[in-house]
Amino acid sequence: MNRRNLLKMAALGAVPGSLWAARSALAQSAGAIQFACPVPMSGAFAANGKFADLGMKLALEQYGKALDRPLAYTVLDTEGKPATAVRKVQEIAQQKGAKFWAGGILSSEALAMGKEAEKANAVFITTAGADEITGKDCNRATFRWSVPTFGAIEQTLRPLLAEKPDAKRVYTITPQYVFGEGLLSAAKSILKEKGIEHVGNSYHSLTEKEFSGYLTNAMAAQPDILLILNFGSQSSDTLRQAVSFGMKQNCTILIAWASGLEQFESLGADLCEGVYFGAQYWHGIDSPLNKELVQLTQSKLKMNPNYSLAGSYICTRIMVDAMIKANSDDPAKVIAQMEGMRYEGLTGTEEIRKEDHQVLKNYYLLKGKKKSEMKDKDDYAIIVHSGQSFLPVAETGCKM
Amino acid sequence: MNVYLLQVVNGIGVGMLYFLLAVGLSIIFGLLRFVNFAHGAFYLLGAYFCFQAIQWGLNFWIALAVVPLIVGACAWVVEKVVLRHVYAQPHEFHILITVGLALVLQEVVIVIWGPLGDNVAAPASLQGVVMWGSFIYPKYRLFVIGFTAVFALLLWYVLEGTRLGSAVRAGSESTEMVSLLGINVFRVFSLVFALGAATAALAGVLAAPIRGVEPFMGIEALGIAFVIVVVGGMGSFSGALVGGLLIGIVQSVMSTLWPEGARLMIYVAMAAVLLLRPHGLLGRG
Repeated sequence: MNRRNLLKMAALGAVPGSLWAARSALAQSAGAIQFACPVPMSGAFAANGKFADLGMKLALEQYGKALDRPLAYTVLDTEGKPATAVRKVQEIAQQKGAKFWAGGILSSEALAMGKEAEKANAVFITTAGADEITGKDCNRATFRWSVPTFGAIEQTLRPLLAEKPDAKRVYTITPQYVFGEGLLSAAKSILKEKGIEHVGNSYHSLTEKEFSGYLTNAMAAQPDILLILNFGSQSSDTLRQAVSFGMKQNCTILIAWASGLEQFESLGADLCEGVYFGAQYWHGIDSPLNKELVQLTQSKLKMNPNYSLAGSYICTRIMVDAMIKANSDDPAKVIAQMEGMRYEGLTGTEEIRKEDHQVLKNYYLLKGKKKSEMKDKDDYAIIVHSGQSFLPVAETGCKM
Repeated sequence: MNVYLLQVVNGIGVGMLYFLLAVGLSIIFGLLRFVNFAHGAFYLLGAYFCFQAIQWGLNFWIALAVVPLIVGACAWVVEKVVLRHVYAQPHEFHILITVGLALVLQEVVIVIWGPLGDNVAAPASLQGVVMWGSFIYPKYRLFVIGFTAVFALLLWYVLEGTRLGSAVRAGSESTEMVSLLGINVFRVFSLVFALGAATAALAGVLAAPIRGVEPFMGIEALGIAFVIVVVGGMGSFSGALVGGLLIGIVQSVMSTLWPEGARLMIYVAMAAVLLLRPHGLLGRG
């Protein structure tokens, strides 16, 4: 079964998607430690949610038990809406006593659930991108695995500029909300430092699908690098239309925050060839835990893990490991264990910074391969650079 | 070339696709007084059928010719089996049933093709760009402009110069009168509904190499189609053309003037037209 067929089966269970109710997803035996996976299972980000569901399931099945008790989890359809997400996690905390939550694909829902986690005396770990999660809106109950916008730009634009010393002009296309602003601000400071001309920026709304107008602006500015700062289907649409406008021939294209394997799959190798992508995770990472996850998903699901699945998997593992170390399922004791925890993660050795609950991990710069060079159907890209960049805690705005 | 001139050319390209998307909706409303919220779903089916055809190894040109006919035939069946029974009901029923139909079709797409998007390559002969001095434009988008212009002429001829067109135009004025003249109005209704759905599917096929395919593209398309119908005037062929071009050009030019508001300006343009001409630019009072 390939990834697409797997999702089709998941989708069958979700018809109609909007009616997806909280679903008990693993043996709900008495005395089980309850986890929750609050992710969008319907709407535009449903695919991410369905992979995240698989990630938590794999992790909990792998452990089986912790503290001599079975592990159970419930998938909650947040619909990508903060209000729905908060209501669902409140319900699961009250009805099942689920205090360990891993999810939140969108920054808005993650921020809302983070606040709720603190009120509910729960633990919440997310892969969402907004800097505020471990910045000014940080709290004791909330952790974040993914690298925030500052690190994403530092580990993509900077190495790309080093690889392209002749590039002197950069054009940016930015979604006008907090995530895009974070990426743009980080990009501007690198460009200023390097003396590279920022020849223009086109802001666009979160609902935009037609990017030809912005690309016309970009082409008129004759950039050496087109830096795409939007996410998900918007970055796919921008790239698709940029390629049709011939921009791949005239300049280097970088998508600073790609959504990983699923994005390559939906774009296809021909479009991605020669394009640079920033990524939180790639199934080709050479680390012991990642190799284990790749083997696990290949044997159980006949597919390679993507970012949504891997993110949910590692977030769940972090909580279970902390629980085992704390020898308790008391959220306060688990949080205390998670703070400052070093562990062998999917990207190598990872560490949770105590002061802001940000996981310190690698971010990757990938380059799309030629179709003829792909060794298997998922071998879309090579890792050309990886590294870590995080703002010092004092500059994040986080005050616990 | 001046960037604004480039944006106008680009806006025409975007607008022609918008016209194609909206004209079927406009004609259906004009004749049937039927609010079809499933129109975006036919666009979605067109795009996905094109994707599937190419996956099966058929070429784009075959998809362009065949897919609208298939979707039109499906719409004809839906009209006969379901929609015909609610024409006499208030608009709320039309909305309820067509929204339901749109959701069912969207979920069917997800079940068959999955929730992830996919890419559709433009035909090899239309890949690349046309360069004319500083003017650079994708060949495929130029083709869409030309093709849609020819199709618009054909559609105009069908509506203005044929017996079917006469029946449609007369039917939009008074269905009872057309009935009294011995024309099977229900057959005309079915044909018009199928034609409207086929044009939406044609827009879907043409849009697929530009936008790719993804299960939620129908909802977005429906929103744009309604804006154009409101701007151009409900039931007006030329209104859909003028409305589509106007919205396309406004969106594109605003991408330079005020990029963050380019999307918003579509709706501002609609509000302005509603205030100044409540029946649309070319609608009848």
